[in-house]
Amino acid sequence: MRRDGRAISWVILSLVLASLGLSCDRGGTSAREDVLTLGAYSVVREVFHDGLIPEFARIWKTKTGRDLRFEESYNGSGAQARAIASGFDADIAVLSLDSDMELLVKAGVVKKDWNEGPDRGIVTNSLVVIGHRDRPDLPIHDWGDLTRPGVGVLYPDPKTSGGARWNIAAIWGAGLLSASRSTRDAEAARNLLARIQANVVIMDSSGRQSLSTFDRGIGDALVTYENELLLRRKYGKKPIPYVTPDATLRIESPVALVETSVDRHGNREVAQAFLAFLISMEGQKILASYGFRPVNPDAKLGDFPPIPARLFTIRDLGGWTQVKRTVFDQDGVWAKTFTDRAQGK
Amino acid sequence: MANSPPALILRTSTLAYLGVMVVLPLTALTTQAFEPGLARFGQAVTDPFAWHALKLTFATALVMVAINAVMGTATAWVLVRYDFPGKSIMNALIDLPFAVPTVVTGLMLVALYGPSSTLGTILGRHGWGIIYEQPGIVLALLFVTYPFVIRSVQPVLLEIDRGEEEAAATLGARPWTIFRRVTFPTLYPSILTGTALAFSRALGEFGSVVMVAGNRPLETKTGPMYVFGEIESGNRHGAMVVSAVLLASSLGILVTLNLIQRGRKV
Repeated sequence: MRRDGRAISWVILSLVLASLGLSCDRGGTSAREDVLTLGAYSVVREVFHDGLIPEFARIWKTKTGRDLRFEESYNGSGAQARAIASGFDADIAVLSLDSDMELLVKAGVVKKDWNEGPDRGIVTNSLVVIGHRDRPDLPIHDWGDLTRPGVGVLYPDPKTSGGARWNIAAIWGAGLLSASRSTRDAEAARNLLARIQANVVIMDSSGRQSLSTFDRGIGDALVTYENELLLRRKYGKKPIPYVTPDATLRIESPVALVETSVDRHGNREVAQAFLAFLISMEGQKILASYGFRPVNPDAKLGDFPPIPARLFTIRDLGGWTQVKRTVFDQDGVWAKTFTDRAQGK
Repeated sequence: MANSPPALILRTSTLAYLGVMVVLPLTALTTQAFEPGLARFGQAVTDPFAWHALKLTFATALVMVAINAVMGTATAWVLVRYDFPGKSIMNALIDLPFAVPTVVTGLMLVALYGPSSTLGTILGRHGWGIIYEQPGIVLALLFVTYPFVIRSVQPVLLEIDRGEEEAAATLGARPWTIFRRVTFPTLYPSILTGTALAFSRALGEFGSVVMVAGNRPLETKTGPMYVFGEIESGNRHGAMVVSAVLLASSLGILVTLNLIQRGRKV
């Protein structure tokens, strides 16, 4: 009996040691292969996985003769940023908004001057647009149409979704700029945001989820990225008609090198080449074919509807730090739309 | 025998296991929640959004528990006291809600009762919304906690001495009196156990609720959803505090239950 027990413990011990050995062995890569780890936000999954990555791997192979393998991770922008900040060893971070990238700067893994190049670290542009049902009895042309009683609006929860932050910032900005270009009417902006928020039926945790909720027939209008709606055409899904409000926000999504990971992996050369590729004409052409507007507005790429008359950027609203403070903080404008409504104001 | 080396090793290792798996993470959570001080803790709980989320979680769990107590006991009663075709299938189906991933539960409820479903359209015409409103949350909780009361009442019902009920009947008691005076006193501890477990489970339920609730702050955002949102938006302390409150409530319920049962045995 004793001896049996001892034999079993030996078996278990050797199993444990074997599994340790297996997990240690994983790190090695062959000398003829480069590896790049990508930590990206979920919206760019298709364009990276199906478009940019295979093309860049091909270019890299012809240029250097070396194989390039990507390890890809896609997650909500905030979640991805937190993962990288707390040790996920992505070489390249592709996030939805600057303020998430600032999280990585604070963690000391991305250089402070990541956004000081000519393109300010931005690789993709898009617009905040309103997708709607094909219903003539429910015309939707502008933000104001989302405030009408009975119009069910969808956008995700800004607590969990970077996309929702862009959406709400667009509404806020459109309200601010509505009165006239010179005077910024904060009251009008608050009012517009509160009335649209009151019509919101569901706040899913990501933009993609809002889109699939809309697909299931819920809601009459969906505030989202233009590229998300253009992507549907590429993948042969039923198109969702959309309008670009006269005043809307340009979505600018950043990318940066994660210094600590690149140093550890010793793959700075290929990582920098990939970043350069993203901003290059070839890279932007692929991005355009997946619905992202080119970063260089002069580049005639893709077939996009005209840029709206009163397009503004996050810098016009004072930058993300400012918008975060006035709109998204715990006592910000967005939270106040709920507390005011609960108090019957 | 109890102090022989193997017994000692086994005892220590299971205790250590409990410590590492359960006690340690919970302690970490509680210390982090209280770290910035009691005042900040109070502030975080009374934040209007946190407070509403907590209230909603408890209210929906209470409604669920009330329904479960009645329906669960009735179901157990039917399973034990009656014979009918399909009984064994029914018995097997009862545990199924445990096997369904909670997100799928949510999805299923949306497909069935959602605004774009047949049923949802009919209900919507009368101005009733289930999914993306508070009743949807109760519905999801009912599904995920379905087996608790049934499975804790059923074995007690099986063990019950029918002789007592028959004796009461011979003495002229009406069926309702028999149930109230004879059967129920034996059953109620097991009903309590079942509902308490269901309640604790409901306080933390996330996967199914997030699909059916609509996630609107101050309307349909429950505690666990609030926690998720605050973690995602970088407010760790707010998330920890609400979790700590949910955790303490669960612990309180389970400990009270334990005391009641111990009191009964003595």
